[in-house]
Amino acid sequence: MEILQLENITKSFFQKIAVDDVSLSLKEGEIFGLLGPNGAGKTTLIRIINRIVTPEKGIVRFKGDMMTGKSLAQIGYLPEERGLYKTMTVYDQAMFLGRLRRMSKSDVNSSLNFWLDKFEIGSWKNKRIEELSKGMAQKVQFICAILHQPNLLILDEPFSGFDPVNVELIQNELISMKNDGKTILLSSHNMKSVEDICDRAALIHQSKKILDGQVVDIREERKDGRFAIKFKGNMLGFANALWAGFELVEHIEHGNNRHTAYVKLRGENTFQDLLKVLLGQIEIESAWEVLPSMQQIFIDLVKRTA
Amino acid sequence: MRISWLVAQRELLERIKTRSFISMAIVGPLLVLLITYILFVLGGNDKSNWKVLIADPANIMEAKILANNNGSISYDFANNYVQLEEFENGKRFQKYDVLIEVNEKILINKTAYLFYREKPNFSTSMTMQFQLERRLEEVLAERFTKMTVQDYRRIKQPLTVGFRNLYDPKNESTTLDSWVGFFFGGLILFFILLFGMTILRSVSSEKSNRIVEVLLASVKPRQLMLGKIAGIGIAAIIQLGLWIIIVSFGLFVIRETLFPDMLDASKWDVAKMAKEVQNMTFQQQLNRSYGYNSFVELIYDRIQFDNMLFYFLIFLVAGYIFYGTFFAALGATSGSENDGQQFIIPIVLLLLIALWAGYYVLNNPESSLSFWFSMLPFTSPMVCMVKLAQGYNPGEGYQLFVSFGILVISSLLTLRIAGRLYTNGILQFGHRLRLNQFVKWLRNG
Repeated sequence: MEILQLENITKSFFQKIAVDDVSLSLKEGEIFGLLGPNGAGKTTLIRIINRIVTPEKGIVRFKGDMMTGKSLAQIGYLPEERGLYKTMTVYDQAMFLGRLRRMSKSDVNSSLNFWLDKFEIGSWKNKRIEELSKGMAQKVQFICAILHQPNLLILDEPFSGFDPVNVELIQNELISMKNDGKTILLSSHNMKSVEDICDRAALIHQSKKILDGQVVDIREERKDGRFAIKFKGNMLGFANALWAGFELVEHIEHGNNRHTAYVKLRGENTFQDLLKVLLGQIEIESAWEVLPSMQQIFIDLVKRTA
Repeated sequence: MRISWLVAQRELLERIKTRSFISMAIVGPLLVLLITYILFVLGGNDKSNWKVLIADPANIMEAKILANNNGSISYDFANNYVQLEEFENGKRFQKYDVLIEVNEKILINKTAYLFYREKPNFSTSMTMQFQLERRLEEVLAERFTKMTVQDYRRIKQPLTVGFRNLYDPKNESTTLDSWVGFFFGGLILFFILLFGMTILRSVSSEKSNRIVEVLLASVKPRQLMLGKIAGIGIAAIIQLGLWIIIVSFGLFVIRETLFPDMLDASKWDVAKMAKEVQNMTFQQQLNRSYGYNSFVELIYDRIQFDNMLFYFLIFLVAGYIFYGTFFAALGATSGSENDGQQFIIPIVLLLLIALWAGYYVLNNPESSLSFWFSMLPFTSPMVCMVKLAQGYNPGEGYQLFVSFGILVISSLLTLRIAGRLYTNGILQFGHRLRLNQFVKWLRNG
């Protein structure tokens, strides 16, 4: 079932179009990546979903009904430009933001304790934000965004400023939330994260949506028939083993007689045929079909439409 | 409403927990008390001898004034009308510094006029007024009631003394009561500026630390603005309440300890006084005591506090909302915390104009400009306090309600306009604020 539907959303600021006729839909229990270069209109779109900005045209539906102020109680939002009240304690901050999300005091309390324990930061509860490091404050921000157990969580650049350990921590948490049936809308420049955790993605460029679909499908559709073989042995031996049915397109030497070679198939040949001709000639360490990275697809598309 | 209240609670708690709030609540009123004390201790004697002529053609006062004359003011009585010109130029009047006119109308309108050649200082003015009023109380109690003076004092109407320059007698009265109004109006402007700046700082700091976008996902910009203005406003009222309590209590303590009411006959120890009466320090103390106690009496008895405080509070609230919206809109539209500074100047200028308008009305209560000042929402919180203290002319009392009505409607209007600026400006960061942006954001509903 679709939890969020955007239909033909258009918004401009002082005659400058920020979002141009964008339609999207998010299914329950998926992680959706919203991609796009800076200034493409992603943040405006997210603000429209959160009812911070009103669109000139178009409809936003939440669980099939028109989005209202009450729907916001089921949405969690972590904006790109985020902050906290520096002089408030973690507890007071969470209590204030939770109460704004229509939670009762006892619910805020128990939910906060749960998350603080889960992130093993229970001792921070009565610390003022100004006493915490940037990374610590970001964890608190994340907790404040999910405190009310939202059905839809919107994260704008959630990994910016996090160290790799915390990126993994947040990623794991998002996957766990998805497994619990929550939906996550993720706007990010971190393409690796999008590849790793997003089920579907859309690309916004110059205020328009130019791509939308399953991440796997997007990458599958753009593959160019290349396969990679990582092996130990002689490169000449590898090249000789290939016959007319295969084309060596790229080669990377790693040293210590180790190489990665990129090969295209010709005619009716398959990946299995390639492996068959190589077996016995070289020592294959790994082999895989090369799919374009989301980063590559992103750059190609943006350049093409520029 | 619930959401705005949550925002207001947060603001309130944040304000009252700060050291500056607590120190302002204690140091502020203590400073007022200290200044009051210094005014009476140091400002006691600008001229050692004041000769006062009381023109009393109806012989109301029977040529008597408080039995224990304190030495620095001496009174003579004339049982005929004394023309001002005659008093000004007549040789036999040259020895007098002050003429007090007491005619038969005083029994009805409770108003006496005091003409001075050289303006007596505050303490001396108060002493003259105090002595005159005490004598009149005796006369009135004796003539018209069967009460003791003490009982009569409880039910009497206060006496108004118009202090006028002999050389400019047409000048409108700037009685002490009007100054009380000016003080109250000034207090409103002071609190508007103080807490208006707090609104500005609070909004711009929410912008600069970017919490605002998190809030806007659950709160509408107008709700946020309203909650902020309300929370800071409640903090202002708490601060003001503390000021009133501490100042009132302080004045009482000063009266009871530093300036005991020596004029209260029930407290006189005749034997002790006989010894001390020769002593100059005692004379000086007595003199100060006169002045101080009349001042305290003015604060406690003469001002109709229930009335004055009620209007003071409603004009403070409406005036604060009116100006507070400007500060909130300015905070929301500025690109950085320091960006709004230059745009504070017009608001401060408006507040200064309001202060000047209060002074103008103090001196020209009947002018048409005074009327318009009392109607304009920018100046009415100040001016209406002065006019209220001066007293509205019979049949013109409705003007106070019209002024308040205009102020409330204007506040609602500015709330609407500021709400629009707030909504459009709150998520704009890092720009330099320009006037044309205001216009753009105002148009973009």
